[in-house]
Amino acid sequence: MTEESKKRKALEIISRKGNGRMISYLNSCVHCGLCAESCIFYLAGKDPRFIPARKVDIVASLYRRYNTMTGKLFPGLTGARELNDKTIEEMVDILYGSCTMCGRCTIHCSIGLDISEVVRLGRNMLSTMDLVPATLQSTVKAAIETGNNMAIPKEDLVDTIKWLEEDLQFELDDPKATIPLDEPGKKVIYTLNPREPKFFPLSISAMAKIFYLAGESWTLSTKMYDVTNYAYFSGNDIEAAEIVNRLADVTKELGAEKVVLAECGHGSRSFRWEGPNYIGMSYPFEVYTSVELLNDYIRSGRIKPDPSKNTRRVTLHDPCNLVRGGGIMREQREILEKCVSSFTEMNPFGNDNYCCGGGGGQLSMSEYNERRMGAGKIKADQIRATGAEIVVTPCHNCVDQLIQINQAYKLNVQIKTMAEIVADAL
Amino acid sequence: MEWYKIVSLVALAVCLVSLAVHFIRLIRLGNPVDFSVKSGDTAKAVAYSFSGAMSPKKKESAYMHLPTYTAGLLYHIGTFISGAMFILLLSGVEFSAMLSLLFAAFLGITLIAGLLVLMKRLIKKELRSLSNPDDYISNILVTGVQILTAAVLLGISIDVVYYVWVAVLLLYLPVGKLRHAIYFFATRYHLGYYFGYRGTWPEKGHNKPSAA
Repeated sequence: MTEESKKRKALEIISRKGNGRMISYLNSCVHCGLCAESCIFYLAGKDPRFIPARKVDIVASLYRRYNTMTGKLFPGLTGARELNDKTIEEMVDILYGSCTMCGRCTIHCSIGLDISEVVRLGRNMLSTMDLVPATLQSTVKAAIETGNNMAIPKEDLVDTIKWLEEDLQFELDDPKATIPLDEPGKKVIYTLNPREPKFFPLSISAMAKIFYLAGESWTLSTKMYDVTNYAYFSGNDIEAAEIVNRLADVTKELGAEKVVLAECGHGSRSFRWEGPNYIGMSYPFEVYTSVELLNDYIRSGRIKPDPSKNTRRVTLHDPCNLVRGGGIMREQREILEKCVSSFTEMNPFGNDNYCCGGGGGQLSMSEYNERRMGAGKIKADQIRATGAEIVVTPCHNCVDQLIQINQAYKLNVQIKTMAEIVADAL
Repeated sequence: MEWYKIVSLVALAVCLVSLAVHFIRLIRLGNPVDFSVKSGDTAKAVAYSFSGAMSPKKKESAYMHLPTYTAGLLYHIGTFISGAMFILLLSGVEFSAMLSLLFAAFLGITLIAGLLVLMKRLIKKELRSLSNPDDYISNILVTGVQILTAAVLLGISIDVVYYVWVAVLLLYLPVGKLRHAIYFFATRYHLGYYFGYRGTWPEKGHNKPSAA
C-alpha cells in the first residue's frame, strides 16, 4: 500500500459518520487548557506539548480539515491541519509518547470529552499507517505470533506451572492441590499476565492457593492464557480483535462458564469492555476480573482471610483501566478491609487517582523511558505521603512501573498484587 | 421592520437550522452499539454527568481554577441573557429603566469576565499555544454582543451596530468553536452514558478501610 493510500485509510477513520459519541468529542473542545494539571506528563515538566487538549486537538484538527466546511475552506481559521509528515511526527510523539490513556483528564475536562478515547482514535489512525512505535508493535507481534506477549514457549510455561504446583502441594500439605492445565468442563478459566510466569510466579501461586481454599473448579489454558492486549494500546483494532477471539475461542473449547481475568488493568478493560466490540458480538460466557472474584469469595465466606496476618501499613494504587475504565473501585477496598490491619488511601484515590505512568504501552516503548519515569514522580510522591510499607495494586503493568518507581525514587516499599496480599492473609 | 433587524432575523434562522442539523444528526446516531454486558445505571450516570460531576467539588478543572471557572460561568450566563435580550428586543418588548439598568449592570460584570478569559488566553503561553484564530474571534464576537446589549439597554442608539453584530455572531456560531453550544450537551450525555454503562459513574460509595 502506498503512503498516500495509507493516509486515505487513516482519514477514513475520522470520517466515519456513524459514531455520534466520537463526532461529539471531536467537535467540543474549547481549548480552555484547564485539563493540563490533570495529566502526569504535563505535571512532570510543564511542557505545553503534553496538555491533554493538545492531544485532542491534533486529532480534531484533522477532523476539521477533512470533514467540516470551515476546515476545508479556511483551514487556518480553526487550526485545521493537513495529514502531512510534520503532523504525523507530532502525532506519534504526543499520542504514543506522552499519554497512558489513563482517562484522568477525561474525568476533569470542563466539557466532558473523553480525551483518552480521542487519543485511542489517533493511535488507530497511526496504526493504519503502520506507524506504531516498533517497540510497542513488537509486543503486539509477539502476542499474535506466539500466543503471549513475552513469547514464552509452552514447555517453559508448563515447567513453571509444575514447579509452582509442587510448591503449592508442599505449602498446603495436600497432593490434591493442583494447578490444572487445559482441563475441559471447569467452571472457571483463569488467565495470566505473561509477566507472571516470566518474572512473578508467586502471584500465580497466590491465586492457585486462593482457588484451592475456595474449592473452585478452574483451569488454565496453555493454548491461550495471556490476559494482555497491547493492540488496545497500539490502536490496531484488527489485531486487538484477533487476540480477543483467541481467548474467547479457548473458553468455548474448554466449555468454561466464566473467564476470570488476571490482575491486569488494560487486559481487563480490553477483554471485558472493548473486546465484544472489537469482535462485533457478545460473549456466550461470563467475564469477571479477579478482583471481583476475590471479593465475592470473601463476602460469601468461601475464603476467610485474617487481617492480623498483614500488619504492615498498606496503601492501594488504583489501576486506571480497572477503575475509571472499568468501574471497579469498591471491590479492592472491601478486600483490603478484610485482609490488612493498617490501610491508608493515597490522595487523591479512586476515580481521581493518578496513573503510575506505566499504562498506554509506555512500559514497552523504551524510547520514552525518561518521560515515563519523570511522570512517575507524581505517583512516588503520593506513595511517600501515605507512609505505607506495602503498595498493593491489581495490575501487573502497574506492578512493573511501581517497582521501577520504587527504585528510582528510593521509596523503600514492597509492591504486591491483590492475590498476594489475600493469600498472605489466609 | 428595519433592514438590520431583518438581517439579524435571517441570521437567526440560518443559525437555528444549522444547529438543528447538527442536533438531529446526533439524535439519529444515538448511542454507539455496545456488545459488552452493561454493569451500571446509565440514566443515573447521565444525570450525574450534568450535575455532580461538573461541580467544583469534583472537577479539578473547576476547583483548581476557581477564578477562571467563576469567570467562565458568569460569561456563559451573560451570553444566555444577551441571547434572551435579543429575542425580546426584536419582539419589541420594552423594559423599565430600573430593569434595563439592572441587566446592563449584570452584563457589565459578565463582559468583564469574558474579557478576562480573553486576556488569559493572550497572556498565558500554554493557552496561547493551544489557541487558533477561531478561539479569539469567538470570544470577541460573544463579548462584543454583551457590550452592545448592555449599551442598548442603557439607551445608547447603536441599533444598526447591535443587530449587525448579532447577525455576524449567529452566522459564525455553527461554523466555529461556538457550536459547542450543541456539542457540549451531546458530549456530557455520551460521557455519562459511557461511564454509567461500565459502572464508573455515579461513583460507588465504599467503606473506606479504616486507617491504623
